[in-house]
Amino acid sequence: MSSHNERTVSQRNAAKAVSPSLTENEQTLRSIFENCSDVVFRRMTMQGNIFLLLVYVDGMIDKDLVQNTILKPLLYEGIPQGLGTLGSLAQMLDMELIAALQTQRITKFEEAADLILKGNVAFLADGDPFVLLADVSQYETRSIEEPSTEAALRGTRESFTELLRTNTTLLRRIIVTPDLKMESFQIGKLTKTEVVLAYIDGLSTPALVNEVRTRIGAIDIQSVLESGYIEEYIEDTSYSPFPQMQSTERADVVSAGLLEGRIAVFVNGSPIVLVVPMTFWDGLQAPDDYYERFLYVTMNRWIRYLFALFSILFPSIYIALTTYHPEMMPPKLMLSITGLREQSPFPTVIEVFLMEFMFEGLREAGIRLPQQIGPLVSIVGALVIGQAAVQAGIISAPIVIVVSAAGISSFVIPRYRFGYPLRMLRFPLLVLSGLFGLFGVALGLIMILSHLIQLSPLGTPYLEPIAPTSKSKLKNVFLRRPRKRMN
Amino acid sequence: MKKYLITICLLILSAATAGCWNLKEPDQLAIVIGGGLDINAEGRLDVSSQIAVPAGLGGPDTGPSKKKSFVVVSATGKDFMDAGQNLQTQLSRTLFYAHRQTLLIGQRMAEQGMDKYLDMVVRNPKSEMRSVIFVVKDGTAKEILATEPVFDPLISTALGSVQLALGMKPYYYREFLCDSRTKGGAVLLPAISYNASTKRFIYAGAAILNKENSHRLGGFLKPDESYYANWIKGRQRALTVSTSGTQSNGSISLRAQALKSRIGVVKDSKGMRIHIQLSGKGNLVENNTMRDPSQGKELRKIEESLSREAEQAVNKLVRKAQGQYKADIFGIGKHVHRKFPGEWKSLQNNWNETFSRLPITVEVQLRYEDPGQTNSSI
Repeated sequence: MSSHNERTVSQRNAAKAVSPSLTENEQTLRSIFENCSDVVFRRMTMQGNIFLLLVYVDGMIDKDLVQNTILKPLLYEGIPQGLGTLGSLAQMLDMELIAALQTQRITKFEEAADLILKGNVAFLADGDPFVLLADVSQYETRSIEEPSTEAALRGTRESFTELLRTNTTLLRRIIVTPDLKMESFQIGKLTKTEVVLAYIDGLSTPALVNEVRTRIGAIDIQSVLESGYIEEYIEDTSYSPFPQMQSTERADVVSAGLLEGRIAVFVNGSPIVLVVPMTFWDGLQAPDDYYERFLYVTMNRWIRYLFALFSILFPSIYIALTTYHPEMMPPKLMLSITGLREQSPFPTVIEVFLMEFMFEGLREAGIRLPQQIGPLVSIVGALVIGQAAVQAGIISAPIVIVVSAAGISSFVIPRYRFGYPLRMLRFPLLVLSGLFGLFGVALGLIMILSHLIQLSPLGTPYLEPIAPTSKSKLKNVFLRRPRKRMN
Repeated sequence: MKKYLITICLLILSAATAGCWNLKEPDQLAIVIGGGLDINAEGRLDVSSQIAVPAGLGGPDTGPSKKKSFVVVSATGKDFMDAGQNLQTQLSRTLFYAHRQTLLIGQRMAEQGMDKYLDMVVRNPKSEMRSVIFVVKDGTAKEILATEPVFDPLISTALGSVQLALGMKPYYYREFLCDSRTKGGAVLLPAISYNASTKRFIYAGAAILNKENSHRLGGFLKPDESYYANWIKGRQRALTVSTSGTQSNGSISLRAQALKSRIGVVKDSKGMRIHIQLSGKGNLVENNTMRDPSQGKELRKIEESLSREAEQAVNKLVRKAQGQYKADIFGIGKHVHRKFPGEWKSLQNNWNETFSRLPITVEVQLRYEDPGQTNSSI
């Protein structure tokens, strides 16, 4: 990027210091905000000789507040009598007039411009070599809604929004202790995105906090548009299909993570909060696992484990069994599969591949389509792919069953993005089983397993507590024990 | 990452270059669902295979247009596999033996002795050891294979359930192999025959293959004799025993479950003696007599007469085995072997001879568990 090194006009002007002359300051500010139509400059004269300049970004401030608490008293009542020891107009404004919670005096245009852009009103008075900034920011945001990607039958219905402050508030309301620390960082040269590192002092290992802190501190990028940017910078292994960080839009999930000694990373502008480190088994747990009765949860967990296996293995096992090891199938099953396959023109591997691609296509289309057209996709998908293809004899019926069963089972996984690697790894396994049968499937699984064992995001083994085995934690993977006995 | 890629490339290359490609689509296979072994009139081995026609089995279309669900092809040859190769000439798909459900042996072949043909089923890794095995009484395997079954689409799968329905454990080739390896005695194979008038198969009892005579057929047991023989061998699970009532005084039937058998071998100064103890208990399922099973005394009498009835039948069977067939069809040799391993060494080579002269006593104990839902006969 050429503009990266060359400083712009605004940047050059912003490097200046605030001077006592109001005219000069106004000129500098105007040149900083040149061609920024949403920045408003308001000049005021009080009692004939005192000049005041207000600068703010239209739409980012609370206009009522400014009018009622600042402008009206100033214009109608004038400067209060008995200024006494107060040295300057700005000081007077700061101490006596402006009824805003946060104010600060800035002597550098660079900082002042930043704050103006974040919703402060800047007051510049003639003769004062600083800018007084009052935080009156207020802008349109989305309200708190129900979580859309992490549905749970039981548990909070509040999900994070784009506004960092709302998100941290949600967390503060759940964990009420000063030990909940929220360290703030500003990342991104252009977006100046606020990133908050949250952890509970005393529960999380200081080394882990330090590591994440250093990693976040070392990020040097132009922009941060989503927490995914941060995730990629702080994750250990980029070349892995498996997510090494839990991402959630639920405050209770973040709180649970923090209470387990993990660390959360909030990013302004993103309703998705990262929780680090993550293990493989976290990917298969649902938010309400710890709210619902333990028996159902244990059953549900096993269903998820089985379906996770199913979703990654079913198509390739089907290929291996029907084309390489037909002796391993029950005779009657083998006969009906053979009977249903008689018509189809493609080899089994190709059939499965075609249908898998179609399925992934449908899934992708389902996400992107506007809601009004959504049902259309499912109808076309069901009719064209499910029925017509089979009736026309192009695809055999068992393949449709296999592909859709495997597809559905990947959606059983509660953390949506944890289903991605399972769906993706299906394809290499398909190739392997098409080439080598069960031997190939075993080979593929060994490769996946050895990769999983290698993974160790932020020093926590990904497969813990299975590998390395930790007996006490193991029980919470296979079962969800009653809370009284969970310790 | 690079290592993975190289490994995968090498694997794919090795498959492509070595031609090591086992892939066979299901529609490239002729799935042999039942096999039959016969000796034809010229004395040559005649192998028939029942091959499933999947198009006639699967698929939603039923009705008159539906294809036949199987085809029976046969060919002669020097041995089983040679005949198999000749079979292959008639088929457009590769023969696939791993799903063979049933193995049928024609009577003529059984008469010539099975010794020569035991090997081929075991040696071929593609062949299925869990096929149920039958001897076809008064007929050829080919006839049975070509019959239309009543329930199942294929006769071969139906034959496996015949024995289960009769209350005995299915007899698999694997067991035949185990039984035939030990010395002395005879193997009891289930038998089946073809009923020309109904064009269906019928359970025909059991075939006696004499182990000391290279597994030649020694004769057949009638169906009810085969139940008792299986009871002694511990292969019968349930059996209905009836008293031999006349039309005037009626009969009583007991459906005996939990059949048990104990074979005791005793040796003393008078020589070796065998005692067979059979027991079973079950429900009274029919009572056409004047007896009232709700009374303890009567019930005792009913049990007694049922037990004696069964005892007589078993005694008769034992005498038949000793006298007519001169073959240990009950596997008593095994018990002697276990109890007197030293003596067995000298006995095993001529066991059938010894068996036919042994004093054998039989004791049957049948007990009721439930006298049924009424008192005396209605």
